Amino acid sequence: MEILKVENLSFTYPLMTSPALSDVSFSAEKGEFIAVCGATGSGKSTLLRMLKNELAPVGERSGEIYIDGVAVNELGAKKSAAFTGYVMQNPEHQIVTDTVWHELAFGLENMNIPPEKIAGRIAEISAYFGIEQLYLKSTHELSGGQKQLLNLAAVMVMNPDILVLDEPTAQLDPIAASEFISTVKKLNRELGLTVIISEHRLEEVIPVCDRVLMLEKGSVYAYGKPQSTVSDLKNKPSLLRSMPAAVRLFHAVNGQGECPLDVCHGRAFIQSAFSNKIRTLPLEKKTAVREKALEFKNVMFRYERDVPDVLNGLTFTAYKNEICCILGGNGSGKSTALSAAAALIKPYSGEIRIFGKKLKEYKNQSLYRECLALLPQDVQTVFLRNTVREELADVGAGELPFEINHLLDKHPYDLSGGEQQLAALAKVLASKPKLLLLDEPTKGIDAETKHTVAEILKRLKQSGVTIIIVTHDTEFACECADRCAMFFRGNIVSSDTPRNFFAANNFYTTAASRMTRGFYDNVTTVDEAAELIETNGTREDA
Amino acid sequence: MRTFADFNPIAVTVWFLAVTGLAMFSSDPVIYVIALTGAVLLYVVRNGRKHHGIHLFAPVIFLITALINPLVSHNGGTVLFVMNNNPVTLEALIYGVCTAVMITAILYLFKSYSQIMTSDRLLYVFGMFSPKLALIFSMSLRYVPLFGRQAKKITASQTAMGLYKDDNIADSFRGGMRIFSVLITWALENGIITADSMTARGYGIGRRSHFSLFIFRTADVLLICLSVIFSVLTVYLTWDIEFVFYPYFKIPDAGIKNAVGYAVYGLMAVMPVFIEIREVVKWRYLRSKI
Repeated sequence: MEILKVENLSFTYPLMTSPALSDVSFSAEKGEFIAVCGATGSGKSTLLRMLKNELAPVGERSGEIYIDGVAVNELGAKKSAAFTGYVMQNPEHQIVTDTVWHELAFGLENMNIPPEKIAGRIAEISAYFGIEQLYLKSTHELSGGQKQLLNLAAVMVMNPDILVLDEPTAQLDPIAASEFISTVKKLNRELGLTVIISEHRLEEVIPVCDRVLMLEKGSVYAYGKPQSTVSDLKNKPSLLRSMPAAVRLFHAVNGQGECPLDVCHGRAFIQSAFSNKIRTLPLEKKTAVREKALEFKNVMFRYERDVPDVLNGLTFTAYKNEICCILGGNGSGKSTALSAAAALIKPYSGEIRIFGKKLKEYKNQSLYRECLALLPQDVQTVFLRNTVREELADVGAGELPFEINHLLDKHPYDLSGGEQQLAALAKVLASKPKLLLLDEPTKGIDAETKHTVAEILKRLKQSGVTIIIVTHDTEFACECADRCAMFFRGNIVSSDTPRNFFAANNFYTTAASRMTRGFYDNVTTVDEAAELIETNGTREDA
Repeated sequence: MRTFADFNPIAVTVWFLAVTGLAMFSSDPVIYVIALTGAVLLYVVRNGRKHHGIHLFAPVIFLITALINPLVSHNGGTVLFVMNNNPVTLEALIYGVCTAVMITAILYLFKSYSQIMTSDRLLYVFGMFSPKLALIFSMSLRYVPLFGRQAKKITASQTAMGLYKDDNIADSFRGGMRIFSVLITWALENGIITADSMTARGYGIGRRSHFSLFIFRTADVLLICLSVIFSVLTVYLTWDIEFVFYPYFKIPDAGIKNAVGYAVYGLMAVMPVFIEIREVVKWRYLRSKI
């Protein structure tokens, strides 16, 4: 049964010359799992918002959307609210009330459902989502992943037939993200819920979806089964970049036959088609002893007197002119370590030296002048003005190390996640730091921008800047790091070059590494895997 | 365990209104003393040795209110001594002490009330009058701390960019103003997301119902009924008693009827204490069987 049908939908925002969507047509059967992908600005969000009448943007529109056989704007307020559930990107701001139970009840209260029935419905939903322990908690006590799960539960409690998710995992760490996606898949499988999801990070979504809708500049580039749509991306590097590692590898080596979608099939694809006589690429030489840029010595820190240590004897050195990525789980203290290095918090014991000088010897803000800069996780906190131009003028930014001219006259809050990151980086770089600390710079940005950021960082390194990045993003770490370190329970437990580091890790590593493990050695990125495959050639017996 | 705090918030509120209301609007020192006894007992039974700061603070308030009246008011016939050419009278002192007893009693009562009425309980009481008001209250409970946390984050980011020095008052004031203004922008921008999330879940399509975690049990109804009946009885039975303070303090003749009135008020004032003690005893007994 067709539950959703979009016919020749075109849409233009007011005062814009080019349409955001042009002639989009597709339909979804009941119980299908549909992934919507496309670069930033391809019209994903516009399309998804138009599926829900309450959220439809204002502008010039033609064509029609039918939900359950009825035009979307004729559904009636009650049905429209309950039939389509909508989860957005930002976990924090979708939450309306102060407690978990009230948030779950919110939608049902709006439907004027009697309290006795609400009690039963939210009991059921919290059991299904496994959030009973959170029931009485304040919403602000939850982690990002828990918040997003609550947002999903608060929508599901209204018993929708269609669930629309607009980049729901963009702000989550990889573990919370994959948990979230598997919950969505479970809803789809167990309840026959129709799911329409847009994502930057397609590694998890493509293998489980029934159909893929690819958008490019507001038009449908492809719509169909994942196998067939992803096989046809040769000439679309921007779309290809966001695909799972297996798909990228398949295209990089000009694979024949069926395109693998996940790690498991990617392995089978490599092992069945290619030989492994040469098992590893030549390793780069280790650099000689270098000067220290940032040094932690037995640093101890806790936020309050009676809570456990967050930094537990942290001892770690970052050297001049390197990009060092610090990886590790949520709450392991990574961000706290950066705050300590930037002198925003004061450890109760231990010593931090920056370029050989103790932190407290940097008097009168001299630390922040041509020495150290911190780009925080929430980049919105960097902005104080109405345009990017004013922001940069404020800090006296001279020539920028990268091009953001097209953003200069926009309000910082109007920029996309990736653009905000670039603008904030430009502002932070104005003080000409020699040591740059970045906290999760790839959070919520698309594959294309991620690549741009990596390139910028490499260029900065060449100009003599030392960069320390706290990240969850293993692919990004591989792409730009000289050294990776693992943070665990308040301390660094291992550190090495990315290739050795990820080769030593079995679980906390990139998809390319997991795909080639045991067949090739020391492979971390898709490019390396492709290079190795090309030197080896196809199997003789194949 | 169902302590006094676990009673339905409406029942708890009715009891508090009855006890404090009678104490505030009567001019009867006996009522004041009963109220103070009940209030202190309730506080001690609930908190034990914890949160004992009030026991230091209350006597100070007591002394100040007791002494201000004789210093300001010079009515009364019995002059104790003369200060700065102004007579300090026994009657004014007695009146001051009475008022002080009343104020201290109310202080303890409000302290207990604010301990019991956590935000979700207050929300529930609001919700009885207006579900909309309750929602606004709940949203502000989320927003206010959110604001605080965001302000801290912005300050940290800006400090790390070295934008203002902390040794210069003008500079840090200017910095504070800028953070405040950007905080408003931030709230408005992200408020749009919250608004979207609300309309997406059907906010504003018609009448809202109001869900809460609290239900009415027999004991709650009993507490409300007793509070109302006892209040009416107290008023009825002690209505004719009148204490005269000026020019000479006079204790009125009290009959059996009035004595019963005081007893009723006393019973009401210590009701929660009974509930607490009964719970503790019951719990000890039940636990011994586990």
